[in-house]
Amino acid sequence: MLSVRNVSFSYDNGSRALNDVSLDIDRGEFVCIVGHNGSGKSTLAKMFNGLLLPTEGSVTVDGMDTADDEKMLDIRRLVGIVFQNPDNQIVTTVVREDVAFGPENLGVPPDIMAVRVDEALKAVGMESYAESAPHMLSGGQKQRIAIAGMLAMEPQVLILDEATAMLDPMGRRDILNIVRELNKQKGITVVMITQYMEEAVGTDRMIVMNDGSIVMEGTPAKVFARGDELRAIGLDVPPAVELRELLKQMDVADCGDAMTLQELSASICRSLLKN
Amino acid sequence: MPIVIEKLTYTYQSGSVNAFTALKDIDLTIKDGEFVGLIGHTGSGKSTLIQQLNGLMQPTSGRVIVDGYDMSDKKQRAKGRSLVGMVFQYPDYQLFDETVYKDISFGPRNMKLDNDEIDRRVREAMRLVGLDFDEFAEKSPFELSGGEKRRTALAGIIAMYPKYLVLDEPMAGLDPAGRRAVLEMIDGFRSQLGCAVVMVSHSMDDIARSAEKVVVLRDGRIFTCGTPQEIFSLADELYEMGLEPPFAARMASDLRRRGLLLPHGIYTNEALAAALAEYKGGRGNA
Repeated sequence: MLSVRNVSFSYDNGSRALNDVSLDIDRGEFVCIVGHNGSGKSTLAKMFNGLLLPTEGSVTVDGMDTADDEKMLDIRRLVGIVFQNPDNQIVTTVVREDVAFGPENLGVPPDIMAVRVDEALKAVGMESYAESAPHMLSGGQKQRIAIAGMLAMEPQVLILDEATAMLDPMGRRDILNIVRELNKQKGITVVMITQYMEEAVGTDRMIVMNDGSIVMEGTPAKVFARGDELRAIGLDVPPAVELRELLKQMDVADCGDAMTLQELSASICRSLLKN
Repeated sequence: MPIVIEKLTYTYQSGSVNAFTALKDIDLTIKDGEFVGLIGHTGSGKSTLIQQLNGLMQPTSGRVIVDGYDMSDKKQRAKGRSLVGMVFQYPDYQLFDETVYKDISFGPRNMKLDNDEIDRRVREAMRLVGLDFDEFAEKSPFELSGGEKRRTALAGIIAMYPKYLVLDEPMAGLDPAGRRAVLEMIDGFRSQLGCAVVMVSHSMDDIARSAEKVVVLRDGRIFTCGTPQEIFSLADELYEMGLEPPFAARMASDLRRRGLLLPHGIYTNEALAAALAEYKGGRGNA
């Protein structure tokens, strides 16, 4: 679905944000990209729908090159991005209009659009807010509206560029659940960029960036087994993995590759509550 | 002297049909040099409360006394306000000058300090927040990364030597190493400058590391207030309120439910691992 081939990118001031990055993301995959601030992950995200174009190499979306001007509209239709700061993504004064803004620009006829907006709002659990004023909503609700705005364009790929970073724990849980559903039910390809390691648990594949390059790649279980390497590049492991590491070091229990509270708790009980 | 909040109630658009009471009957004391963590879900009144601390908003009823200055009195408010440094969640809104140096020196300059003292404070503040002077002093704030912007905003506030430092989500949007660094930095200038810290954070794991007192707001009221140990013993209640208690506290609670008898008051992974080691050892001896 997304193909990144030997991409390098330098900003105008000469700083090199990506260095010979190659990556393929399959249709329907749920991929998580992590890396410290300034590792190049947000730059990479903006490559996926042509917001930024590679200085070297190429990015293709469903076979279309993002550098091809004539394909730009098609690409933007296929790939929606939700950013970190919800306030910068709200453009109108009524939720319904905000969700309709994107498809309207794509020339979707009004009757079809009304249906799409309703469906999009429903998918993010915000149908009762259709006539509300966006500025009265919480950060989490605004992000749900931003996601609905993308869904109304019926994208095949959803990119979340630290979309949960400014939300409270409940808002984060909601957004994650919504995105998981969209991936499972509608088969939308999801690329999630995050600073929260626990959000990577449950995704299909993790990509770890450092200084503009991909330094690790694999299932969350494989990546989080390399805790020391992650910490060395300013990252971390989810708290359950940290506790698992401690228990192993102290020879209390070997909990395999448990990554969530439930898994770890069950595993600890299995080894300590033997009768 | 401390910050004393007495019977504080605040109503937005008081008297209109849209009147909304965001804070009700708040009694709270923030002692000199104390580290207070403030938690609560979105809309619980956290932001409204911290804006009362430096007089950005005034109580509808009740009082806020900062170091002896009554914040509802206009003259006293100016004095009280100069003691309270506030750093907001989005550093972008707080930075405005051409260079990092000018931005950080804005506050001290307003305090009418002489140039040598201003220069000394800017350098000291940059060192405390970990911004290299030669590399950053002449940069535009807009060229900075999110983490660097936040450091710059913090430096601008601590250069004024506040007696109370109020931080709204200082770690939001930072990577794990950045979060650790900001927490260590806050501990660092707290011990160096002796200021009290009031930190609002969604991350109770972060609060658990540093705070001496934790205040939980719910629907505009203080739901509970106590030591981290006392507060995080309520892991299940906090979780149901939409908050996220420290992982270790939730984990300990889950293990207890499954029949593993663990002591109460555990809220760090280290303490939990130690308790589990003891449990295993005890069982082995029995």
